[in-house]
Amino acid sequence: MRKLSRDEDFILRIQEISQQNIADCYQCGRCTAGCPFAEFMDEPPNRIIRYLQLGLKDEVLKAQGPWFCAACLVCETRCPRGVDIPRIMEAVRTIHLRSKEQLLDIDRIDKKILEEAHPLVLMSALYKYSY
Amino acid sequence: MKVTYYPGCDLYTKAKILNDSIIKTFRAVGIELVELANWYCCGTTFTLARDNKMSLIAPLRILAKVRQTNGSVLVPCSICFNTLKRANFIFKQDPETLKILNEHLGENYDAQAEIIHPFQFIFEHKDDFRKGVKRQLENLKLGCYYGCYLLRPQEELEFDDPEAPTIMEDFVHLIGARPISFPLKVECCGSYLIVNSPEAALEASYRILKNARENGVDALVTSCPVCHYNLDNFQTRITNLHPDHQPIPVFYFSQVMAMAFGLPVEDWGLEYNKVSPKKLLEEKKIL
Repeated sequence: MRKLSRDEDFILRIQEISQQNIADCYQCGRCTAGCPFAEFMDEPPNRIIRYLQLGLKDEVLKAQGPWFCAACLVCETRCPRGVDIPRIMEAVRTIHLRSKEQLLDIDRIDKKILEEAHPLVLMSALYKYSY
Repeated sequence: MKVTYYPGCDLYTKAKILNDSIIKTFRAVGIELVELANWYCCGTTFTLARDNKMSLIAPLRILAKVRQTNGSVLVPCSICFNTLKRANFIFKQDPETLKILNEHLGENYDAQAEIIHPFQFIFEHKDDFRKGVKRQLENLKLGCYYGCYLLRPQEELEFDDPEAPTIMEDFVHLIGARPISFPLKVECCGSYLIVNSPEAALEASYRILKNARENGVDALVTSCPVCHYNLDNFQTRITNLHPDHQPIPVFYFSQVMAMAFGLPVEDWGLEYNKVSPKKLLEEKKIL
C-alpha cells in the first residue's frame, strides 16, 4: 500500500493565494458536474480539491485539469459551500507558473489563431498560461 | 447627451464593428459617446490569485481617470466590464489594498467610479431606444447568448441572475426582434482555451451552437468580443469535426440594433461576420 504524506505548507500556500478554505468543500461534485471542460481534464475540479484536502501535493501538481479551467465561474456560482473553485485552480496554476513551469509556448500556437485572434484572447491566454 | 465610454483594446482592433455600431446606434437616439481621455488596457482577464496586486494597477488608473472625468463610464466589452467591476469591488472591500495602490501610483482614487454596461444604460433610457426603432424585425429569432464575463460572479458584477438572466431577451424584445432563450445561453464558449487547447474550446462552442439551433434560433446575439470570436470564427472547423453542424450567424447586439434603427446597411458591418448572415436576412426580408 502506498504511503500518503500530507504536505501542510503546500495546502497553506494554495489557501493563501486563493483565499479559500479547502476544508469547506464536502465533495458533492456539483462543480465537476457543471464544468464545460471536465471531460478534457485528467483530474476534474472536485478531485483536485480532494487531493488538496488530503495534502497530496504531487497528485495536484501532476494534474493537467487546472490548465483546462477557463475561469468561467459556473462552479463558483453553483457551489453550495461557497467555495470559489476557479481561485483554487488559479492558485495551482500560479504555483506552476511562479516556478516557471508549464509556460505557454508561443511557437506552438496555431499560426492562424495567432494571426486572427482578438488581442483580448491572446492576452488572456498569455496571462493565464505564462508568468 | 454626452456619455463617457471606455472602448478597450478589442474595440479598436478585431471588434471594430462593435465599436462603430455602438457609436452610430447611440448617436441615432441622441447620445454622443465620448472616449475616456488617455485610456489604456484594463489588463484583460481578471487575475484570481488574491496575492497578485500588479493586475489591479491598470484598473485603478482607468477608474481614477473616470472619477476625474464625470464619475461614470460605459464599458461595452464584457472582459473590460468584468475586470473593471471586479477590481472596483476589491477597492471597495479592501481599503488596505486601495491605499497601497494609491500610494504606489500617486493617485487618490476613492472606489466610487460607476461602471455601466450598454444593456444597463439602454434600460435606463429605454423610451429613447424604443423610439429609435424604425424597422420591423419580428421575424428574426435571435438566440440570446450571455457567456460568462457579464454574469459571474454575481455579487461583484450585480448585473443579472447568473443562471437565468433576462436582460438580453428584454433588449431583443425592446428593439422589436424575437428573443429566444436556450439552456446553454450562460455556458462558457471556451474563452482563451482556444489558444492552448483548441479542441476543448471548439467542443464548447459546438455544444452552444447546437443547443441554440435545437431551440429554433435563426442567429445568435452576443455582446462579448471573445464569445463572438469563438462562436463565429471557427464554424468551418466545427463543421469539419461535427458534420451535422449547421452554420449559424452570430451578431453583436449593436449590429442588430443598427438594423432595427434603420441605419444604412454599410453600418451593420455584415462583412465582418465570418458566417455570412446575408442569406438569412434576405429570407427574412430585412436585407
